[in-house]
Amino acid sequence: MIDAVGAQNLSDAELVSLTLENQDNFLYLVDRYKGKLMNYIRRLTNINDDDAEDILQEVFIKVYLNLNGFDTDLKFSSWIYRITHNQVISQHRKLKARPEGYAINIEDKAALSLAADIDIEAGADLNIMKHNIARVLSGLDQKYRDILILKFLEEKNYQEISDIIRKPAGTVASMINKAKSEFKKELIKQKIIL
Amino acid sequence: MEHKEFDQKLVEKIREEKMAPKPRWHFLLKNQVVWLAGALALLIGAVAVSVMIYLLKNNGWELQAQTNKSVLEFFLLTMPYFWIVFLGIFVFVLYYNVKHTTKGYRYPVWLIAVSGILASFILGSILFLFGVGQAIDNVLGERAPLYETVINRQLSFWFNPDEGRLAGVIVSEVADGNFYLVDPAGESWQITGQNLHADFYLSDFFKVGEPVNLVGEVIEENIFRADFIKPLVPGRRFFDRPGIKEHRGPCLQDNCPRPLPPRPIPAEVIRLDMIQDRPTR
Repeated sequence: MIDAVGAQNLSDAELVSLTLENQDNFLYLVDRYKGKLMNYIRRLTNINDDDAEDILQEVFIKVYLNLNGFDTDLKFSSWIYRITHNQVISQHRKLKARPEGYAINIEDKAALSLAADIDIEAGADLNIMKHNIARVLSGLDQKYRDILILKFLEEKNYQEISDIIRKPAGTVASMINKAKSEFKKELIKQKIIL
Repeated sequence: MEHKEFDQKLVEKIREEKMAPKPRWHFLLKNQVVWLAGALALLIGAVAVSVMIYLLKNNGWELQAQTNKSVLEFFLLTMPYFWIVFLGIFVFVLYYNVKHTTKGYRYPVWLIAVSGILASFILGSILFLFGVGQAIDNVLGERAPLYETVINRQLSFWFNPDEGRLAGVIVSEVADGNFYLVDPAGESWQITGQNLHADFYLSDFFKVGEPVNLVGEVIEENIFRADFIKPLVPGRRFFDRPGIKEHRGPCLQDNCPRPLPPRPIPAEVIRLDMIQDRPTR
């Protein structure tokens, strides 16, 4: 097994190869992605922490079992996000989300970027704006919410989103445009000023 | 989430359940099966195209004017709908398989569909040149249920005596242009074509055992006056089916040649009233 310092300098693909040689190295991949993926799961759903952790565990087990199927032409992060996305969709049907919650965790930079991209003037209070963005996102159809989360909150580019949701890049671009327009409509519907 | 606790639970679960990454060949095999299924769908689509070309090329354009149908009507009535739908199904199967390859999702639907159709037409044209369309039609003509109503609607189109179109197989010697014919329903018809010239008998297709299309008129029950005649090309083997075959008794007893796929005929349409003016030999 490699040491933690050595693992930091390795790429994801290299860690995959090393995990196939020694399963203990898998922990470095887990360490690298568990925080990001937990955030992503919480953003996609309103399930409680225990359920989110169960989903995350299932994601890592699937990743581990399918390591030989990882296509090195793809970014590992896109592949692991795809598995997470699919796992959330399949688990979400079984688990009851809290419909009233606006628990989407948004960073300052993401909130400002979303407001700027949608061409909406941001208010003075960043916390209120983040809360309002979360409310609006919660009111959107899942397909629009998911794609805005990937674009603005997870900061993925078009090709990465295409690889995560398995749709052509052109379709991703039009879905994002449509999602932004739905976001604006939802703002008006909910009478929210960012 | 307690990080160490999560990692520990994950590792324990992997160890307890003795999980191991699936072997590489599993993924390679899966991908190859998807590609193989796609290639098979493309090949089947191409076969459909080769039959479509065969049917469209031989649907009797030369008698279109005599059928009193406009070009559009004639085209719509003799289109190979079954094969178009068949092609559509296999282009969809091809699309489904391409989408399930490792990078298939990157291509838009229209690109896969257009490429699939284009590849089917190119491959189908090559198969047609090798006689695949004809061979498939012959096999289906002899055996397939619903052949005349669904698979090859040309046969139904040409078998409509009330509208002056008759299809069938010649079951007697041709004498002075008169002969007997058995239609696809197994009924016998007396065909009158008194004005035939002797040259006419030399036509390759105008003999016992040959399927033909006629345009003319029913003059009495099971008596048909033929004005135009042409060899029946797609669906020739339909007349080898039981119920029709038995009516060709004398021919079969003499072990006469089975109606084979079309031979090249210089004048595909022989208009009977046009040849009557030629000198008799």
